[in-house]
Amino acid sequence: MTTVGQEQEQEQPTRPALEMVGVRKVYKMGDEEVVALDHATLMIGADEVVALLGPSGSGKTTLCSIAGGLLAPTAGSVVVGGQDITGYNAKRLAKFRQETVGFVFQSVNLVPFLTARENLLVVDQLGRRTGKAARDRADQLLEELGLADRRDNLPSQLSGGQRQRVAIGRSLMNEPLLVLFDEPTSALDTELGEQVMELIRTEMKSRGTAAVVVTHDERIVHYTDRTMHIVDGVLHA
Amino acid sequence: MSDRYPSYGAVFLALKEMRRALVRFGLLMASIGLLVFLILFQQTLQTGLITSFVGAIRHQSAPVLVYSVDGRRNLQGSIITSDLQKKIVAVPGVGSAGEIGQGSFSVTAGSKLTSAAIIGYQTEGLGSPTTLVSGRLAHADGEVVALASSAGDGFGLGDTVVVQPGGLKLRVVGQATEIGYQASPTLFSTYPTFEQAVLAANPDARAALPAVIAVAPAPGTTDAELVARINDAVPGADAVTRADAVASTPGVAQVQQSFQVIFLLFGLVVPLVTGLFFLIVTLQKASSLTLLRALGAPSSALVRSLLFQVSLVLVIGIGIGIALYTPLSSQTLGSIPLSFQTGAVVLWSVVLFVLGLLSALVAVRRVLRIDPIEATTGAGLGR
Repeated sequence: MTTVGQEQEQEQPTRPALEMVGVRKVYKMGDEEVVALDHATLMIGADEVVALLGPSGSGKTTLCSIAGGLLAPTAGSVVVGGQDITGYNAKRLAKFRQETVGFVFQSVNLVPFLTARENLLVVDQLGRRTGKAARDRADQLLEELGLADRRDNLPSQLSGGQRQRVAIGRSLMNEPLLVLFDEPTSALDTELGEQVMELIRTEMKSRGTAAVVVTHDERIVHYTDRTMHIVDGVLHA
Repeated sequence: MSDRYPSYGAVFLALKEMRRALVRFGLLMASIGLLVFLILFQQTLQTGLITSFVGAIRHQSAPVLVYSVDGRRNLQGSIITSDLQKKIVAVPGVGSAGEIGQGSFSVTAGSKLTSAAIIGYQTEGLGSPTTLVSGRLAHADGEVVALASSAGDGFGLGDTVVVQPGGLKLRVVGQATEIGYQASPTLFSTYPTFEQAVLAANPDARAALPAVIAVAPAPGTTDAELVARINDAVPGADAVTRADAVASTPGVAQVQQSFQVIFLLFGLVVPLVTGLFFLIVTLQKASSLTLLRALGAPSSALVRSLLFQVSLVLVIGIGIGIALYTPLSSQTLGSIPLSFQTGAVVLWSVVLFVLGLLSALVAVRRVLRIDPIEATTGAGLGR
């Protein structure tokens, strides 16, 4: 019997998960322009787990948001799994996010009125709607994440670590090429944070899925293949 | 993937949320239900009130009624002299005409002394009741058709009603619905029986003059044309169609206006409650909606989810209102008989559903303003 991760591994593409070339993001604040990201160029391999380290306001989240299709760059190109999303409009970006990337956000990650299992299924319900296949995948992911007995619990009935694991499961539901983690351990204590990072690494590697972990916590770099630093919008790969 | 997929997602999301917040959504449905019930009840009460006051005019057979001008369209105040009657009957376009008299009497019915209105018509088909539900019309002296809803008060089929003073006996030979006048038990008789009642109650009276002349147009003449001709040709005559006679009876318009103000207020409250509720709910779950948008949920799916919830709440709320209204609509409120009004139910259901949906547009606008990037900052709309 093969696991979801093994199935994914067999279909693993060889092209990079993420390529960003000369990406700029400039915000207008009245008459002034604020450069949030300045000519960022990077490439992340198909199963690479990369830490993106930088202080608050350095442009980490902006870079991640552009990579995930949440934000359009002012200049440069963004290619995810061979798909150039640079010129996508809001509708195509929504579809891209639905089908190609996974997200684990820093604060709100789960819909409070959906159970753990439904939080995983909502991605499929709002997207491809594969029915039984999605339900089987959700059950398998919850089991692999040690949450099989918590599948019918609402987020309010789960601990912080369990909620984070559900969010990780949800980010993997659409079999993404790239998962973006924004400060995944910031709300957790040290021990729980390490457990979650270990889990992220294990899950990504077992599926051959690339991941970018945005953090300002130096300890996280032990769990990643590579570390990139960003300061004042300038990326040091 | 086809756009139909998010529809399933929208319903999935809407139902899950409602299931997890049953009390909240249940209270809204109950509130809407109570408001709908109140609207329908008031509507029925209005109709019942008007019917109990002027049902006898609405449900008599003459298409045109001619009052005396100084009667101000009130059966009790209008008196048609024989001279006036001759002029009315002589107007070109009058096909047939007959006298109608009306009076309020003290009567003994079911061994109780009460008051009743007696309406006497000279010609069957020109003033006789049109809503007979049992028995037959009055043909002979001493026969009357009574208001069906007052059957329990001694006006049932076969009962004898005695005019006081005088002791004239009237036998109920038929029953008709919605023929009330001045909220009293009402009896329709032939004109001679009406005259006998007047003379029995007041032996000093020399004659019982008609209150109105009932007329029907000759072939080729419409009711409206006949009304215009009589009013032009006969000074002192005030001809009106049956519908206008009902609407212009003193007090009817005032009752309708009062109720219209109440309906307007209720009609505003339902969409206001619905709109505010969904706006608050939308603001409360802003972060969840932002998260879903970030995960790739199209705005349209979230809007459909919201509209599905609004529709479901309105349908169930309106259903509750109708369910509460139905059993009450077959009762009698004091002397006012109520009735289930299908037209009012359909009209109010459609109006409140549409207004409720429109009221949710503010919440829809909020949903459409969600920027998925806010998921990275933990912010949501409205913050």
